[in-house]
Amino acid sequence: MGIKINALKCTNCMACEMVCSYHRDDGFAFLSACIVAYRAREKKDYFGVLLKEEDVLIVARPEGLEINKIGEEADPDKEADASAKPMLLREGCDFCEDMDDYGPMCVAFCPVDAITLD
Amino acid sequence: MEYLSTDKILVIDLNAAQVEEEELLESLVEEKIGGIGIAKYLYEKYENDDPIVIGTGLLTGTTYPASAAGGITAKSPVTGSVCHCPVIYKLGVEIKYSGFDYIVVKGRSDSPVYLWIHDGVADISDASDVWGKDVWESTDELRKFVGDDLLQTMLIGPAGENGSDYAQVCYNHWSSPDRFGFGKLFGAKNLKGLAFRGMGLIEVAEPEDYVERSLEILKQVKENSFLEKKGLGQILTALGEEGVSDWIDPVTHRHSADYFTPYASNTALFLDEDPGLLEESKKEEPGVLVSDIYALLGFKNVGLSVKDAGHALKACAKYGIDPFAVAQLSGKTTLEEIKDSFDSINGEITIPGSGLFTPWCPTGPIFNDFNLSGKDEIMAWWERRQAVSMIFGIQPMFSLMCPELTEENMLELASLGTDLELTQEILDAVIDDILG
Repeated sequence: MGIKINALKCTNCMACEMVCSYHRDDGFAFLSACIVAYRAREKKDYFGVLLKEEDVLIVARPEGLEINKIGEEADPDKEADASAKPMLLREGCDFCEDMDDYGPMCVAFCPVDAITLD
Repeated sequence: MEYLSTDKILVIDLNAAQVEEEELLESLVEEKIGGIGIAKYLYEKYENDDPIVIGTGLLTGTTYPASAAGGITAKSPVTGSVCHCPVIYKLGVEIKYSGFDYIVVKGRSDSPVYLWIHDGVADISDASDVWGKDVWESTDELRKFVGDDLLQTMLIGPAGENGSDYAQVCYNHWSSPDRFGFGKLFGAKNLKGLAFRGMGLIEVAEPEDYVERSLEILKQVKENSFLEKKGLGQILTALGEEGVSDWIDPVTHRHSADYFTPYASNTALFLDEDPGLLEESKKEEPGVLVSDIYALLGFKNVGLSVKDAGHALKACAKYGIDPFAVAQLSGKTTLEEIKDSFDSINGEITIPGSGLFTPWCPTGPIFNDFNLSGKDEIMAWWERRQAVSMIFGIQPMFSLMCPELTEENMLELASLGTDLELTQEILDAVIDDILG
């Protein structure tokens, strides 16, 4: 099982980020999410989704998926997003294993079905 | 107020350069629920100090669909009455998570200031470095100063500083629903604006039930076929403006949504870049994000090309002036003339109904008919729908699209979230108080 992200369908609404953090905190927050809508390139209208799994950071960009092994040196040609650094400190995706009624919360709550189960 | 709340009201006295905090009492929520219900109460409490009240709805920033909105309540220089302007994009949510449910700004500062509000802390900061700069420069500078590209701002540009009647409070780099000249009010207070960032936690009384019901409602919402559409061109088409989608298609880049809002109502136009570009543009300012359907239509109707209309919208956002007022009142028909007219915009625009809510929102249903008929019934529904949206914090454009977002389920979620018994009778009384 894996999380599949279609960055071109994503509308950058942050629902995934909210419900992921809820799953960790039992309250509403954004701080603990292992999936975030990256949105720091606002003037360029460039956005997508970052997902931290146990060993990898998945960057779902509009132009395609990028999978970075955590601990490896980043591509010097690509500027890091402001969202990426705190992500590395967070727990990796556990597919919301404790949320029996839902499955992964980001999948259940994505309003545009940009996040699905593979 | 323990739940769905930060429990705090911030009161900023610009005369005395003082910041105070008040507790948000549960009894006030039981009486006024939230959003503009409480903002109006706070406005009246501090009325002698010409306050601006910035607030969030009771459900803002939660899992209730489209719980994106906040609001600005103040006396409008345009109408002379107290009006309510929605706070959209991701800004409404950031306000709540920055640590305050409501912010009252009263008095006038001796020198330009901005308010830096983050993680439950508020500072009155010197704005001399950004005073005189446009909205884009100011937002960029504050983000650089704080070192956080996700800082959310509510700022004025030169129009507000110069006292233009149609000066607009802009959100980040973009135009806002402000048709009330609130930017002039900010400028008169020597207030460049506010900057928000927060990592707070909002507690919920019954979190599992709240989230479960949110998902049930979201699933009902997703049954709507209009959710196959995106962007403001489709909204205008649904409102009978058939040619707009084709007109903007050649410069349309992508559509984005406000927080947790299922319809992407913001459309990015690429003006100096290939609109089909998927990679990040190497240009600093490739285009403009548009949420104001009537401003876009206004520039189309004066005869601008879509690229020039985009450039006009961008220039308005930088200058901090209401682009709809510019399109309606400038009397100009070329981009350069329009850009040169910003300091001389005057005249009247029509604020519908009782004048409380912004005609940035269409004054009727979108995509669905809500079983309404007749002009009077539609206007009464629209005003009530706007009031309800701004009490609970629902994106006000989306609430005009989506019948599944009902007063009943907003009250149900509010009660689940707060452990208070919030009834239809209370909501009716709050709406009556707002509508007068």
